[in-house]
Amino acid sequence: MKNNSTARNTSGVTKLLRIALYSVLLIMAFFYLMPLIIMLLTSLKDAEEVRNGTLLSLPGSLNFDSWSKAWSGACTGSTCTGISPYFLNSFKIVIPAVAISTLLGAINGYVISLWKFRGSNLFFAALLLGCFIPFQVVLLPMAQTLGWLGIASSTTGLIFVHVVYGVAFTTLFFRNFYQSIPGELVKAARLDGAGFFTIFYRIILPVSTPIIVVTVIWQFTQIWNDFLFGVAFSGFDSQPVTVALNNLVNTSFGGKEYNVDMAAAIIAALPTIVVYVFAGKYFVRGLTAGAVKG
Amino acid sequence: MANLTIDNVKKSYGKTEILKGINISIEAGEFLILVGPSGCGKSTLMNSIAGLEEVTEGRILIADKDVTYTSPKDRDIAMVFQSYALYPNMTVEQNISFGLEMRKVPKAERDTEIQRVAELLQISHLLDRKPAQLSGGQRQRVAMGRALARRPQLYLFDEPLSNLDAKLRVEMRTEIKKLHKKLGTTIVYVTHDQIEAMTLADRIAVMKDGEVQQLGTPQEIYDNPANLFVAGFMGSPAMNFIPAKVIEQNGTPMLELAAHRTSAIPFPRPDSLTQRIGETVLLGLRPEMITEPQPHKEGQEFVMTTGVEVEVTEPMGADTMIITRINDAEINCRSNPGYLAESGSVIDMMFDTSKAVIFDPKTGQRLDI
Repeated sequence: MKNNSTARNTSGVTKLLRIALYSVLLIMAFFYLMPLIIMLLTSLKDAEEVRNGTLLSLPGSLNFDSWSKAWSGACTGSTCTGISPYFLNSFKIVIPAVAISTLLGAINGYVISLWKFRGSNLFFAALLLGCFIPFQVVLLPMAQTLGWLGIASSTTGLIFVHVVYGVAFTTLFFRNFYQSIPGELVKAARLDGAGFFTIFYRIILPVSTPIIVVTVIWQFTQIWNDFLFGVAFSGFDSQPVTVALNNLVNTSFGGKEYNVDMAAAIIAALPTIVVYVFAGKYFVRGLTAGAVKG
Repeated sequence: MANLTIDNVKKSYGKTEILKGINISIEAGEFLILVGPSGCGKSTLMNSIAGLEEVTEGRILIADKDVTYTSPKDRDIAMVFQSYALYPNMTVEQNISFGLEMRKVPKAERDTEIQRVAELLQISHLLDRKPAQLSGGQRQRVAMGRALARRPQLYLFDEPLSNLDAKLRVEMRTEIKKLHKKLGTTIVYVTHDQIEAMTLADRIAVMKDGEVQQLGTPQEIYDNPANLFVAGFMGSPAMNFIPAKVIEQNGTPMLELAAHRTSAIPFPRPDSLTQRIGETVLLGLRPEMITEPQPHKEGQEFVMTTGVEVEVTEPMGADTMIITRINDAEINCRSNPGYLAESGSVIDMMFDTSKAVIFDPKTGQRLDI
C-alpha cells in the first residue's frame, strides 16, 4: 500500500524530470548541430545572399554552385583545380595506411596476448607510450628519418608516418580484444598441427570482426583528419584534403567566398561522417566487446 | 596407442618449483588419472606432456621415443580442454577435420573419418552447426570428436567434465569409460574430482605441491593410502582421522577410543604400534567401517561395538551419515537408514578396524607399512 502511494506521488515528479531531461538533451543536440547547420545553409547560398543575409537566414533557392566550385574550380594557392585532386590524395594515403596499421596491430596484439614471450608485457607498455607522444615532438626526427629513407615529400612517406604512429593504437585495441580469447584455443590449434600464421589466419582473424571495425574507423578518422603531418611531410602533389582546405580558405581574390569554403569543408569531412553513420553501431559494440563476459 | 614415460621431470618458474621430479610410467592402453588440489602441478604436467610448456629438467618419452624437445604438433597427441576450445568460426565438421587438414590428409579420407567419429559420438546431426549453437554436453562431445579424429598415440584430457552440470557429468563419465574400453587408447586425464578419478582410472597418480604422493590402482589408493594427504583426499565423505593413544592390554598394543565410554580397540598390524606405546597416533577409519551393529560381523577379531553420542544425522537416501565425536574428533559413520539414531541420544555403533590404517600425527606418514 505504502509503496503504491509513493509510486503515484512520484510519477508526477518523474514526468517533470523526464521533460527537463529531454529539454536539456534537445538544447545540447541543437547546440552541437548548430555549426553543421550553418555550414550547410551557407554553402547553399550565393555570394550575394551571404553578404546580405544573417547567419541563420535560409537560402533563397537550392544552389549547388559553390559545391561544384569547391570540388573542381576553387583556387588553392596558385592552382585552381578545386579540392578534388587532394580528396583523392587523401584516399591514396588513408587506405594503405589504415590497412597496414590495422594488420600490424592485429599481429602485434595476437603475439602480445596469445604468444606471450619473456618481456612481452614490457614490450606492450613501451608500445603504449607511443599513444601519448604528441605529434609535434616527432616532426623533426621524422623529417630526418623520411629523408634517410628517401621517401620525404611523397605519399609513401605520409603512409609510413601514419602507420608508425597508428601502430601503438591499433596494437592496444587488438591486444585488449584478444585478451578475452581463451589461450586454450591456440593450444588446441597447435596440437592440431597449425603454425603461427595459420592459427592467426584461420582461427583468430575470423573472430576479430568487431575490433577490426573499431580499428578501421579509428584509424580512418585519425588519418583523414590529420593536418600537421600532412602539411609537414607532403609534397606539392601529395597534399591531403585537410591541407588543401586550409589553402583554399586562405586563398582569396577580393571578397571571401564563405559559401565555397563551407562547401569544401563539408566535402572534406564527408568520408568520416559516412564511416560513422554506417559503422557507428559496430564501433560502440566493438569497444565494449569483451568488457562484460557473456 | 603408445606407452608414456615421464622421467624425473622438473619445472620451475624462476625460483618457484612447480614440478619437483615426477616419475610416472604407463603402458599402452592404460587410463592414467592425475588428481590433486588446485596448484598441485597437474595441469603443468599435462601441458609438459603436450609440449605446450617446456620442462626444466628430465625426459618425456612417448612410444619409447624421447619427445622432450619435440614441438607439440610432432608428438602425435590430442587434447580435450576444460573450455573445449572449439574453433568458434568453424562448424562442427570443420572443427573435427581441422587437425586432419593440417596434417594434409586427403579430403575423401577426412570425410570418412568425420563420419566415423560423428557416429561414434552420436553427433552426426550437429555437423553443420557452429559451437555457439551447441549445448555444453554437445560441445564436450565435439571436443572429444576432434581429439578422436586424428587417432593420435596419446590422449590428454584436461578437466573435461568440470564445466558440465552434475547429471551430465556422470553420464559423460560413463561414456568416456565405455569409449576407452572400446578403443583401448592411452589416456592421461587431469581432474580434481576424486570420484571421477576412482571411477575412470586404471591407475591414479595423486599429486600435491609438485610431487606424486602415490601412484596406484584406485582400490590400492583407497584401501592403502601412502600418507595422510592421500587418505584424506580420496573418498567421500573423507576418511575419519581419530587421534588415539596406544595402550598395552595383555601384551598386545591396542588403541584407546573415548566415546560414550572409553574402550580399547585392536589393530590388525599390532607390530607397527609396539614402539609407540603411550604415544598418540592417527587412526584412519573410513565411514563405512563404522556402522550399526551387524550380527554377521559380531565376534570377529577386529570388530568392536560401543556406545556413541549422536550429534547430528545426514540422511543420504541409500545410507544415513551419523556424525559423532570420538577422542574429541568429529567422526562420520555410515549407517542403514532404518537404524534409529536421534540427535543427542546414545546408540551402539560397530567399529571394524580390519581395513584401518595409522599415521604419524606430525609427519602424516603411514606407520603400518
